[in-house]
Amino acid sequence: MDLLDKLNILSAAAKYDVSCSSSGSKRRNTPGGIGNAAVSGICHSWSDDGRCISLLKILFTNYCIYDCEYCVNRSSNDLPRAAFTPDEVVNLTVNFYRRNYIEGLFLSSAVIKSPDYTMELLLQTVRKLREEFKFNGYIHLKAIPGADYSLILAAGRYADRMSVNIELPSQKSLKLLAPQKEMNAIIEPMREIGTMIKNNKEEKNSKKKVLKFVPAGQSTQLIVGASPESDFHILKLSEGLYNKLSMKRVYYSAYVPVNNTPTLPAIKNPPLLREHRLYQADWLLRFYGFNAEELLDNKNPNFDADLDPKANWALNHLEVFPLEINTASYQQLLRIPGLGVKSARRIMSARKTGSIDYDDLKNFGTVLKRARYFITCKGKYYGGIPIREDLIKSRLINGKSETGEQLSLFQEPVGKETRSLAFLESGE
Amino acid sequence: MPLYYYLYDGSFPGLMTAIYQAYYYEHKPNYIISSNKYQPALFAEKVIIKTDMKKFDRVYQAVKKKISNRSLQKIYYAYLSELDDIEMKIYRYLRMGFTIGKKIDGHLSNKLVLKLNKIYNKVSGERHRLLGLLRFRKIAGDIYYAPFEPDHNVITLMAPHFAKRLVDQNWIIHDLKREKAVIYNQQEWVLTDLKKRLDQGRLTAEEIEYQELWRGFFDSVAIENRKNSRLQRQFMPERYWKYLIEKS
Ligand code: SF4
Repeated sequence: MDLLDKLNILSAAAKYDVSCSSSGSKRRNTPGGIGNAAVSGICHSWSDDGRCISLLKILFTNYCIYDCEYCVNRSSNDLPRAAFTPDEVVNLTVNFYRRNYIEGLFLSSAVIKSPDYTMELLLQTVRKLREEFKFNGYIHLKAIPGADYSLILAAGRYADRMSVNIELPSQKSLKLLAPQKEMNAIIEPMREIGTMIKNNKEEKNSKKKVLKFVPAGQSTQLIVGASPESDFHILKLSEGLYNKLSMKRVYYSAYVPVNNTPTLPAIKNPPLLREHRLYQADWLLRFYGFNAEELLDNKNPNFDADLDPKANWALNHLEVFPLEINTASYQQLLRIPGLGVKSARRIMSARKTGSIDYDDLKNFGTVLKRARYFITCKGKYYGGIPIREDLIKSRLINGKSETGEQLSLFQEPVGKETRSLAFLESGE
Repeated sequence: MPLYYYLYDGSFPGLMTAIYQAYYYEHKPNYIISSNKYQPALFAEKVIIKTDMKKFDRVYQAVKKKISNRSLQKIYYAYLSELDDIEMKIYRYLRMGFTIGKKIDGHLSNKLVLKLNKIYNKVSGERHRLLGLLRFRKIAGDIYYAPFEPDHNVITLMAPHFAKRLVDQNWIIHDLKREKAVIYNQQEWVLTDLKKRLDQGRLTAEEIEYQELWRGFFDSVAIENRKNSRLQRQFMPERYWKYLIEKS
């Protein structure tokens, strides 16, 4: 089989993994080497579905000994299979990089022969890239659940980011849909990697020269809609991962049916809106100081289809509003629907030179379509309707724009991350 | 009333010289314009500016000291935008800056400051976008060659990024619109005039293979039932496609 065929098969097989971020790592060029990783991440192209292409995202192989029900690559599926050699992956990466097609490599794999055997091949590949080719571009590597920790941790010396995908948000669903996988075999390597990252950071603080270990942190992915867990359940899980395993990023992937099996829900369209709401809520957890229990609870375990999580929260807490733009604290500003981190910062900095009126806000590029119902400016309210839940709600829904406040990718977003999908830009 | 046209040579030092002059000359400029763009106008009174590195340096240092490094960067990017009448905007911005100092950039309710911020974002935005979209092609002689046509004059803003990244390659970035090129020889880069496109008929066999691999990759990563060409175009405007391997 020639390289082009392999590449077609093994990149198509990797495309459902949504994590595309290539930011957060400052890997400087070393003497005689190529490449450096840009801190803010760079998109090199946008595919026909509008997603940022930043990394050469491929599976090492799609031969798999396992038979997970939700996965195209399950062993019982009849489809073209291929496997790269470490050299092939290295050459592709280096040559794509030299032509400025990519920021680096995102290497994942199905499980060929055994978890250890697979992890060994991944390790060989990244070691070759870093040691023989002195490649300093970005590397995101998947750890294979069930592989020996020593292999996983050895690979972590060469990767910028590592991830173990949880995929299914509960032990029960995992049992049902991926019976050969153990929740523990997933969580344990995460814990190991997390501990190593922490130790590595501490070492770096104490000594000068320390080998890097996964400097851009670890991430994971959850499939949304293949199993019955609620948004609340998923969000709590993410919160736990952020707080307890110092996860850098949780990705959500709307379930796309690829196999016909009775255990999986029959759906026509992937639940994109639900995925979108989870990203918005995730954003609120990470950058806006919210916690999961403020956004959802057992009585209301799922997000509203019509309202974004922040607007939903605000409508349930109208007693907090309206907030005066000239006196509200930064944390309070962040809780105003329609107002993002960027606007909040601008308001804080502009307040230093004088008080702000309504027109100033517009000039900052703040989108007031939604915010106006929740603020006053110099004591004046511009919402034009009484502050009542039903009234505001209907205005928000009728005048809603799905993309929300459009932050341009290029105006140095505060998160400094290149998001894979445009709508991740809005945290509202 | 005559209208005063300050004609300068189009260079950044030239523009700074003009601004220096404006402070000492009794007739303030109504227009500052590159002499090759100037068209004779009614009531025009021409003032020819001779680029003077000493005066340039005076203004340069003054901006750094009395306003801020950030402002200096901002006016430089604005200059590179090559937008119509950008010179007068820079001039008025500096006048304001010299009066109120480094506070100027907190004045977000001022139209001029906002405008300049916008232009700065435009130029740095295009730079950032093109850092990703620039494509090098390996041509005979072991040179990686990247032709492009940016809206703004961003080539020198991009060169340092690639000098840090593609350290052990010989490469050329070629702005075909302005007929300028940056040439890098694994040591340092220089800006030079260059007219003719260099890659036509000179692609190596290896190059053609990798182009094909890249196109193959590009096509197979798109998820069919999520096609969204509006979004794609929003991030990757069509005017840049001409030089993209995967889109041409
Ligand atoms: S182990 Fe991974 S690749 Fe193999 S079937 Fe399960 S999910 Fe798919």
